[in-house]
Amino acid sequence: MHRFDQAFRFVLPAAAVAVLATILSVGWFTQPDRFAKGYAPEQPIPFSHELHAGTLRMPCQYCHSGADKSRHAGIPSVDLCMGCHKVTRADRPAIQKLARIANSGAPLPWQRVHTLPDHVFFDHRPHVNAGIACQNCHGEVQTMKVVTRDMGMRMGNCLACHRDPHAALPADSKITKGAEHCAACHR
Amino acid sequence: MKTRLPEHGPVETPRFWRTLDERIETPEAQRAAQDEFLPGAVPGPFDDVHGLPPQSGFSRRDFLGLVSATAALAATVACDRKGQGTVVPYTRRPVEIVPGVANYYASAFQEGRRVYPVLVKTREGRPIHITGNDEHPGVKGKTSPRAMADVLRLYDPDRLRAPKAEGRTVGWAEAESRLHGALVAAKAAGRPVLLISGAVASPTRKALLADLKAALPALEHLAFEPAAGDAAEEAAQASFGQSVDLQPRLAKAKVILSLGADFLNGEDPEALGAWGAKRRLKNAKDEINRLWVLEGPLTLTGTNADVRVPVSPSRLGAMAYALAKELAAKGVAVPAGTDLSSISAGVPAELGETSKLWSNLVKDLHRAGRNAVVLCGAQMPVEAHQAAHLLNAMLGSEAISGRAAEPLATVRDLDAAVQGMAAGRYAAAIFWDVNPAFAFPRASAWKEAVAKVPFRAWIGLMEDETAAQCQVLLPENHWLESWGDFTTGSAEVLQQPTIGTLYDTRHGEEVLLGVIRALGGHAPASYHAYLQGRWQKSLPLGTSFEQALHDGLVKIESKAALPAFRGASVAAAARRAAGSKAEGLELVLFPGFATHDGRHANNSWLQETPDPITKMTWDNPVSVSVQDAKALGIQEGDFVTLSLEGATLRLPAILQPGQAKGVLALALGYGRSTGGVAKGVGANAYPLMGLDPASANVRPGARLAKAGGKKDLSRTQSHHRMEGRDIVRSLTMDEFAHNPQGHHHKPELVSLYEDQTFPDHKWGMVIDLAACVGCSACVVACQSENNVPVVGPEQVARGREMHWIRIDRYYEGELENPKVVHQPMLCQHCDSAPCENVCPVNATSHSPDGLNQMAYNRCVGTRYCGNNCPYKVRRFNFLEYTAYKTEPETLVNNPEVTVRPRGVMEKCSFCVQRINDVKIRAKGEARAILDGEITTACMAGCPSDAIVFGDLKDPKSKVAQLVAASRAYRVLEELGAKPAITYLADLKNPPPNGASSEGGPHAS
Repeated sequence: MHRFDQAFRFVLPAAAVAVLATILSVGWFTQPDRFAKGYAPEQPIPFSHELHAGTLRMPCQYCHSGADKSRHAGIPSVDLCMGCHKVTRADRPAIQKLARIANSGAPLPWQRVHTLPDHVFFDHRPHVNAGIACQNCHGEVQTMKVVTRDMGMRMGNCLACHRDPHAALPADSKITKGAEHCAACHR
Repeated sequence: MKTRLPEHGPVETPRFWRTLDERIETPEAQRAAQDEFLPGAVPGPFDDVHGLPPQSGFSRRDFLGLVSATAALAATVACDRKGQGTVVPYTRRPVEIVPGVANYYASAFQEGRRVYPVLVKTREGRPIHITGNDEHPGVKGKTSPRAMADVLRLYDPDRLRAPKAEGRTVGWAEAESRLHGALVAAKAAGRPVLLISGAVASPTRKALLADLKAALPALEHLAFEPAAGDAAEEAAQASFGQSVDLQPRLAKAKVILSLGADFLNGEDPEALGAWGAKRRLKNAKDEINRLWVLEGPLTLTGTNADVRVPVSPSRLGAMAYALAKELAAKGVAVPAGTDLSSISAGVPAELGETSKLWSNLVKDLHRAGRNAVVLCGAQMPVEAHQAAHLLNAMLGSEAISGRAAEPLATVRDLDAAVQGMAAGRYAAAIFWDVNPAFAFPRASAWKEAVAKVPFRAWIGLMEDETAAQCQVLLPENHWLESWGDFTTGSAEVLQQPTIGTLYDTRHGEEVLLGVIRALGGHAPASYHAYLQGRWQKSLPLGTSFEQALHDGLVKIESKAALPAFRGASVAAAARRAAGSKAEGLELVLFPGFATHDGRHANNSWLQETPDPITKMTWDNPVSVSVQDAKALGIQEGDFVTLSLEGATLRLPAILQPGQAKGVLALALGYGRSTGGVAKGVGANAYPLMGLDPASANVRPGARLAKAGGKKDLSRTQSHHRMEGRDIVRSLTMDEFAHNPQGHHHKPELVSLYEDQTFPDHKWGMVIDLAACVGCSACVVACQSENNVPVVGPEQVARGREMHWIRIDRYYEGELENPKVVHQPMLCQHCDSAPCENVCPVNATSHSPDGLNQMAYNRCVGTRYCGNNCPYKVRRFNFLEYTAYKTEPETLVNNPEVTVRPRGVMEKCSFCVQRINDVKIRAKGEARAILDGEITTACMAGCPSDAIVFGDLKDPKSKVAQLVAASRAYRVLEELGAKPAITYLADLKNPPPNGASSEGGPHAS
């Protein structure tokens, strides 16, 4: 076989495949939210947001009451759950487990779904007070049986919205931009 | 390279030899010469190949293989989603806590007789920051640096966590049964029991001690405060016939004469507040006070003096009596029974030819009358105190108040107790929150005596020198875990716990309540119940205990009048004063700025806060006057031996400009032998203290000699001159009135960069150097607020301290008595910041509200920014200072501020976490930010209100108005960096006719 022929028939396609593979793998590795999406760890109590926030239409801030007064939206304390569940569905094993925790005062460690690095100081207050719905960052939680991450808390995602927040804001909002300087979140 | 020699052939004698063995050619050395590698350095598996003796081991290839496998595995693990951690909510949420929102509780901190009403900031139930209680009419939201830093002690890992008996950890039941057994036996035998505690400033504690005395009549109680100044106690007894807690009321003072009184050292926020109010002048016609200082060592008060005269402390009494004579000659009435005949009038010899100064002083005091006050330093000799009492009585000064106080035990009382112990007088001894084994001047006598007490119990926070001599150790709550109450001049103050007990500790008072019950008395089990019971009875009508607890205090009518002065005491004191001569070198022992009497020695924040005068950290060198140092050939950092009456210390010396000739100064509270931080830091100066309370802290006849060697001093500022630049400006009142800007012209600046635009706010700061006394409260406040790490003495010596705000102290004029100006220096948040241009990764940039931002996660640590900063305020984390820390140490961190790792540049952020918080709250409430609503930690901590922060774009804001003041200037403005911090020039108010001894007018 001629040397050029060999090059055309094998080396060139192999090189093309290699280049393509490199591009694809680098692209796949660096794609935004590659690992962020779809993270749904098993929780100690099989709490369903679909039932509470969806079917029962409980407002988010009934449980995550810190969202408009604190940096952290907060996870509800066990005694808040027991406010209803002393009576409601007290026969279910998961509720009985909850009741045991409430009575003993033991900690209830939930698996964290949304997280931020230590050097990021996100504040829920201005976002909630501006009328931005929780779903903009946390996904359609009211449809989730198990809370699943819909968006990675990456700086790119923050800035995309801060630069053009119209989609997330209520129609009558006067806000045109969010903060873009470092100290707004990093300090 | 390897040269193989014949297996058993002769070894050539090497030309160069490394060891004697090799030279002599012992068989071992010959074998060693054959083997290239030392035993153990050769891998096992290759032995056969190389024919080397078999050795077990781990080959380099295996090692590298494992490393790469580990790395690959780690990379795989890192790709996994796991490890997001857990989030643990409260199981039962306390109603007052919203996670992420700080709660504030009013409480109180005691140090000696002084009580600080404070506001404790807690996050999720843990105290993280302390400021003054703004409800208190005296302190008005301010407190002392040591009170602010004491939150660190709560989380000190050295705290005793459970009771101990004979060195082993036991339960409270056993510890208490031992204590009770010993005291019941002592009561049955009718033998005395010794109780030594700190000062009693609490009415409930006083009642408790009375109850204890009733249950145990043979109880002997001493309130021991080694740093309180025994002479002050002695003098009060002589002048007023009782113990008196004297408080300056500087709001009423026009002329202040300090006899070595360091009332501006940050300990007294009330005095500093009043001082600042009289010094923050808008225009030259405003009223200003005048401070005359006669003192030996240079103190913070001395640096702020309008006229300062360095004199030996032993001569202060004589000079003050001479003043009294002069005033009497001018017709000022003397208190009944006062005999001034033994006092000779005329200018004291110390003042020499500067007699103009003397006549000015007399004139000033005479003219000010009731608005003049004479303050005497606690450590000064007794006659100086008595003279000050006499002068205040003659002037009828309204600028000083005195309250009857619980008497303190002097060193003489303690010596008597030591002799009693040595004689076997006591059946038991209890030491409560005191450390006499460290602080009693004759430590060996103490040790021998205390061993003769059959039962010794110790109540305290951290095991100390005294605890080591006791059988039963009872761990006490920190004050942030405790109940308590105190009497201050204008309010009854409550202390409440802000956190549950971290360890198995109790109130010291509860231990005593237990003793009362064991001895057959009636007492509630908890001190809270005991205290509340007393308060319910004494609360004014219409005030609930809950309200008092919320406010932290109940205001009371203050009785400002001094007790009647006893004129008969004057003659003896005046004779003593006349006889007191400065002989040899005179040693002044004063409480350390960081350590106080030694109780704070384990606090690394305080140890690293530079001494306001010497800028020393982590040490207590002896300060020598420039003249004496020259005569003795001593240079900065030289080790010297300091000896006095048999006691000898070897310690480094520093040269102190402004210190009177013949005077040595040394701080107490260093040289502890216990405590992870305190141990071995500095030298213990207590052995040099005298047993005569009249002059325990001022000791003539000290000897100083070079001991050889030099110490690398951990000093944060070693250069004290401005090299002809106007970094600080200082004006006399005359200059202020006529030419406040001096020869300075606003430089015309050309910039290569576009001007920054600030759409909404532009944060800025004004620092009034006339009000700043240099007390360093801002440094500690910033350290606590911003998680500033402590680096230790070696790193400080290399200039690697991390403080975001420092106080530069500049000397101007002659070395013997220079003019001193303090200047807080922090990031200037320049509009055209030189640091921002040079950052290769854009880690530091400008925000649209005028902040020079620092993004730690972007910083790669090139340090170009620090290099390019003209103010030298950027700090680099050369080492990892915090990551290794675990609980409880990490609990003190402010969760709103990143804890910076190694390799990252950091600096003042203008407390951006506070700015953002206020911004967000205002936005949520749909309102504008109020002026003064944002307080930086330094501003909130500044007791003299020298620091003002606000929005420069708001023309009505306080800071915008101050920027336009006639005294305003910017540091190194000619560089064109456009700093956001404006300084107001310092003011000095020397008497007219230029009688100031403070050198010529300032260079500007």
